[in-house]
Amino acid sequence: MAVLNINGVSHVVDAPGDTKLLWVVREHLRLTGTKFGCGIGLCGACTVHLNGEAVRSCQLQLSDAEGATITTIEGLDPKGQHPVQKAWLELQIPQCGYCQSGQMMNAAAFLESNSSPSDAEILDAMQGNICRCSTYARIKQGVRRAAQMMQEA
Amino acid sequence: MTKHMKDLGGATRRDVLVGSAVAGTGLVVGYSVLPHVTGGAREALAAGNFEPSLFLTMEPSGIATVHITKTEMGQHVGTALAQAVAEELEIDWNDVRVDYPDSHEKWGLMITGGSWSVNWTFDRNSRIGAAARMALVEAGANMLGVPANECSAANSTVTHTSTGQSATYSEIISAGPIDRTFSEDEMKAIELKKFGEYKLVGTSVPALDIPAKINGTARYGIDVFVPNMVYGRIVTWPTRWGAMPKSVDDSAASGIDGYIKTEIIEDPTGVQRGYAIVLAESIWAAEKAADAVSVDWDLGPNASVSTADILGYAKKATADGEGFAWVIDGDTDAGMSNAATVVEAEYETSIGYHGMMEPMNCVAMEQDGVWHLFTACQWSTRCTAMTAEALGVEPANVVHHQQYAGTGFGRRLEPDAMIPAALAAKAAGRPVKLVYTREQDVMFDFHQSLTYQTVKGGINVAGDLDTMVHTVCSAWATKRQAPGFLAESVDKKGKIDPFSTNGSDHWYNVPNQYVRSIENLVGQSATPPGQLRAVAPTWTMWAVESFLDEAAHAVGRDPLEFRTSLLKAVGKNVGTPPNTVGGAERLRNALLVAAGRAGYGVKPLPANTAQGIASVTSQERGSPTWTACVAEVHVDPESGEPTVNKLTVAMDVGTAVNPDGVLAQIQGSAIYGTSRVLYENITMKDGSIEQSNFDTWTPMRINQAPEIDVNIIQNGHYPAGTGEPVVTVVGPAIANAIQAAVGARVRSWPITAEKIKAAMQEA
Repeated sequence: MAVLNINGVSHVVDAPGDTKLLWVVREHLRLTGTKFGCGIGLCGACTVHLNGEAVRSCQLQLSDAEGATITTIEGLDPKGQHPVQKAWLELQIPQCGYCQSGQMMNAAAFLESNSSPSDAEILDAMQGNICRCSTYARIKQGVRRAAQMMQEA
Repeated sequence: MTKHMKDLGGATRRDVLVGSAVAGTGLVVGYSVLPHVTGGAREALAAGNFEPSLFLTMEPSGIATVHITKTEMGQHVGTALAQAVAEELEIDWNDVRVDYPDSHEKWGLMITGGSWSVNWTFDRNSRIGAAARMALVEAGANMLGVPANECSAANSTVTHTSTGQSATYSEIISAGPIDRTFSEDEMKAIELKKFGEYKLVGTSVPALDIPAKINGTARYGIDVFVPNMVYGRIVTWPTRWGAMPKSVDDSAASGIDGYIKTEIIEDPTGVQRGYAIVLAESIWAAEKAADAVSVDWDLGPNASVSTADILGYAKKATADGEGFAWVIDGDTDAGMSNAATVVEAEYETSIGYHGMMEPMNCVAMEQDGVWHLFTACQWSTRCTAMTAEALGVEPANVVHHQQYAGTGFGRRLEPDAMIPAALAAKAAGRPVKLVYTREQDVMFDFHQSLTYQTVKGGINVAGDLDTMVHTVCSAWATKRQAPGFLAESVDKKGKIDPFSTNGSDHWYNVPNQYVRSIENLVGQSATPPGQLRAVAPTWTMWAVESFLDEAAHAVGRDPLEFRTSLLKAVGKNVGTPPNTVGGAERLRNALLVAAGRAGYGVKPLPANTAQGIASVTSQERGSPTWTACVAEVHVDPESGEPTVNKLTVAMDVGTAVNPDGVLAQIQGSAIYGTSRVLYENITMKDGSIEQSNFDTWTPMRINQAPEIDVNIIQNGHYPAGTGEPVVTVVGPAIANAIQAAVGARVRSWPITAEKIKAAMQEA
């Protein structure tokens, strides 16, 4: 038995310690906003926050995450109103939407570390997240817009 | 599979019923089961002569739900289709919802692809909305005690124009019953709004599917759970198609906590020959066990096939004169012998991978003799029928429950996750959730075929291209998917795949034209072909548009002027309503818009940087979306490395139902197409795909994406599909720009620095 702190709630998980954090989050706890994309940390669809940092949950094991504070898209904001989420809605960024939880989690953590990024910094920060609908033009705008909202707040 | 493919034309044309069986229960709009009902809608409803909620359901609260039988895979199709209904229904958009019903025969052909969704349904959906409005106006007038022809509807309210008395849709439906039948002739006679009169069509209302996609609540196929389910994982086959497990040694898996067993199952449909499927209580146990078990394989017929064999077959079959004619216009022999200049070239495209972010998956469950399949699917009609065949049950006993798709691009036309999930569930006696690994999704895609084309053109003494002979060789997806859709060749000598040849019958005025379509038999078996976003024009336009530039350069003419001189709405290119009205002139116009916006021929550009132009009419000649692109590309003269600085796209969509949705489709497809030609490559060795994940198959990322300038042309003509055409136009525009920049012509995909460098040295 392991205990995980996810979105402010303690979850008791009955799974082997080497189970990928991604599968614990998605398949055991059914927080399915976090997506499986590649399993090798190259697409970003499974991005969650571990102690505030954006990490690929397919590259972590359950045992790595015990004692940490984990946030998934479901807990990014209690009302789904994080500036990144508001910007994503305002700019109508998602198409199929499958990669967008990971995009938003990555963007949110990035903006915590850099509240006023240049375009080049945005592209560098977001290049680990693949979007096959190719919403890239809008993702770039979305990160900019969210940064602006965070500064106004 | 053809035996399951009746009703391909969709629901037959019958009376439309607008009614409520009992007062206060709401309003449904749909077809009658039987042609020409004799009683009213109410009587038909009471007698069960009604296929409930075929199009639209309205609750007593006034909320209308439009039932979308298309796959929601990123194109926001539900929003666009509902806009067409709501426009004529005169309903407040805030009262509109959509849902995605389970598969059933009553819906007719359930398929999503070809940029067809809006194009095929706009007129029908508009008429359904109008019929419901007329019924509501009549019922509302009756309630108010005034003549219906003195009333109008707007914002979910019927108003008596002179007195201002009004009744809301909610009040009218709650008072019910409503009982109105529209004959087919009446439906046809309904006068619809015209371009310029729309209130909702043409506005960028926010997409109805987006809110759930920003907070993690949108449910995709991979997010489905059912009680008592186990996880299934296919043991990866050693070849793309044709391998069959002979035996399994699972001793190394027996100690894995949660491992149940490994089943060897034959597949009678031939989607695969068979499966070794690991079953386990958790996905992690299934994953570990699938790696641990050892399978003895019969490798099957393709174990020695490589990419070179597929290309070699194509070249030989083309040279040997295989295949049948798709276009025969004028006299190409005479045209060639009279030509002052002859230009010849060969074009290739590589094997393509769809690359959906959500890998293939399915949850299969049997309950009371009915099989339930939970996943996103673009072709429920076909996929449920084939799963039924695999299970040995009637197609009516297999139901597909539609989910959001983590995109599709044509990949979800295939039943290859449904079938093993269902077979495994049957073997396990429990529901099974089966998810492909990314490696399996890459290697066991129904790939876009490798293609090989030759084009030979005759240019007359005046410098005009008047003769083209074009051969197109590919594997034929249609032959696998729905052989009934193969077309008789124009010389009546055999069948060809129109969906592998479309686009070669272009809209340029070339009086002598011959196109031959050839099946690649080696590719057909070793790389079972599927449909991939934009389908055949992906390769046919690559050849035609690359060739037009080469021909223009051969006679010293500007590629833009060379094209526009061939685009006059005359002869077979005059066009007819609704889809092709305006004909070739619309393509000419799109070219001029793209060229003008990009500053073609005017904009000062640095050294080794140039613009290339291309125009396409994807996807079919009969349903073209007139599209042009100017690509601005820089080539590093030392390394040959290309950088696409900017893509300027112009698209004549006739009417944009949701302009921001159209913009999103164009932005996305421009990058999708650029990624395809520059970065994406799939190769085969020993019958197996050599790439396996995003380390070896490397699509475009945000830091590599070019600037895109989108220009949407609206002229009030019928709405055209917008999700695919730009995929086909960017490739040749980029290749044409590279030639303009450094004189290097690259004729195969992917366009790499090495190929450019080699071509620069040849030039």
